[in-house]
Amino acid sequence: MNCTVNVASPLRDYTGGAATVSARGATLAEILLDLDRRFPGMRFRMIDEQQRIRRHIRIFIASREAHELAAPVAADEPVHLLCALSGG
Amino acid sequence: MSQELSSAELRRYSRHLSLTEIGVAGQQRLKAARLLIIGAGGLGSPAALYLAAAGVGTVGLVDFDLVDESNLQRQVLYDTASIGAPKTAVARARLEALNPAIRVVAHQLELCAANVAQLFKDYDLVIDGSDRIGTRYLVNDACVLYGKPLISAAIHRFEGQAMTYVPGQGPCYRCLFPAMAEGIVPNCAEVGVLGVLPGVLGTIAATEAIKLIVGAGAPLIGRLLTYDALELRFNEFRFARRADCAVCGEHPSIAAPADPPGFCTLEELRRVRGISPLQLAQALASAPAALTPISLIDVREPDEFETGHLPRAINIPLAQIEQSGQRLPRDHTVVFICRSGSRSLKACALARRAGLEQPLQLEGGLLAWKAAVEPSLPL
Repeated sequence: MNCTVNVASPLRDYTGGAATVSARGATLAEILLDLDRRFPGMRFRMIDEQQRIRRHIRIFIASREAHELAAPVAADEPVHLLCALSGG
Repeated sequence: MSQELSSAELRRYSRHLSLTEIGVAGQQRLKAARLLIIGAGGLGSPAALYLAAAGVGTVGLVDFDLVDESNLQRQVLYDTASIGAPKTAVARARLEALNPAIRVVAHQLELCAANVAQLFKDYDLVIDGSDRIGTRYLVNDACVLYGKPLISAAIHRFEGQAMTYVPGQGPCYRCLFPAMAEGIVPNCAEVGVLGVLPGVLGTIAATEAIKLIVGAGAPLIGRLLTYDALELRFNEFRFARRADCAVCGEHPSIAAPADPPGFCTLEELRRVRGISPLQLAQALASAPAALTPISLIDVREPDEFETGHLPRAINIPLAQIEQSGQRLPRDHTVVFICRSGSRSLKACALARRAGLEQPLQLEGGLLAWKAAVEPSLPL
């Protein structure tokens, strides 16, 4: 199924500047793999070698925070990819 | 300073006094407040202007920078005549002209672990509008350890974030983002920023400060507010205190504010010399590889390196250079490379500190290289 993914500004150089993209998958893992297929390297910016969400990234599914890649995503739920910003 | 309001102050703040949430008591609290703003830049400018106008009795400003022409697009404390002058001195004059009844303190210095305790002790709350991720952790940790409320705001291109920390009432910045990604979090100078964006986020920070001081409303405690100017969309994400937070958790490992690993001063970063993609391409093409005295060091992570890199580059991730003083070639000109030019900037500064003569940084990173030299490079 498709869902909407809202992409944090620092990750948008992978999506060609798009703030919102769609992705296929029923879990966060599937959605991130789908994103990485179309936007190579994007997943690694969020997920480390131990398959954990990086500590300067937070991912929300609708209003629930996702703590693991197995988190389920329903079709009508937006995924929010948040990233620490540092500009002042 | 007496907290009684003079007749002039009663006139000046009459629109506040009409608000039941502020009134005379709230205005007196504002007058008594001592607020420190870290960074007199895009965020600090509107925050300082509104807080001075609101009658915050003591406003401190920390910044070591001089006003640059490129600041004027968004840093509304300054004007053309300010170019080249110390930011905090210009800001103080501007704020005192706006409101002569308040006290403005200019701290023309770079915040670091060595001065943060001395600086914070004279203030009741802090706004973080700095433009370096390492400073954000330093400020957060100091606020947690010294028991100061913190309003943290940050921007990037068209997006902004804000949150509020109040000791004992909710999570801190490190609960939100437990570890920094220095070098992967570019600042405004590297990626650009919509000039009006810090106006929105700086004003939100000032709003939070006023609410905390007068005790009105619901502050952004445990809530991350995000703002996307392009989509004109605000979002809010709830987050909780982490029991394993390194500074405010059950068993904190941070007992004193510290500079981040591989901390570079802005002065060190400014001394870094760059090489453009076209200049580097010409230098590499001018002699065979075996004869060209140039070492290309790609400081990205191994996975990124495997995706695509320049043919003669070797991979030494930035973290290795930061943590172990990784041995670097001294008989070649070293060019540091990363994706966008941020991590390589830091690597270059650290290499200079380690004694390398004239290391260079690929300006704009591989994204710029791809655009100017090699469109087929996979990134």
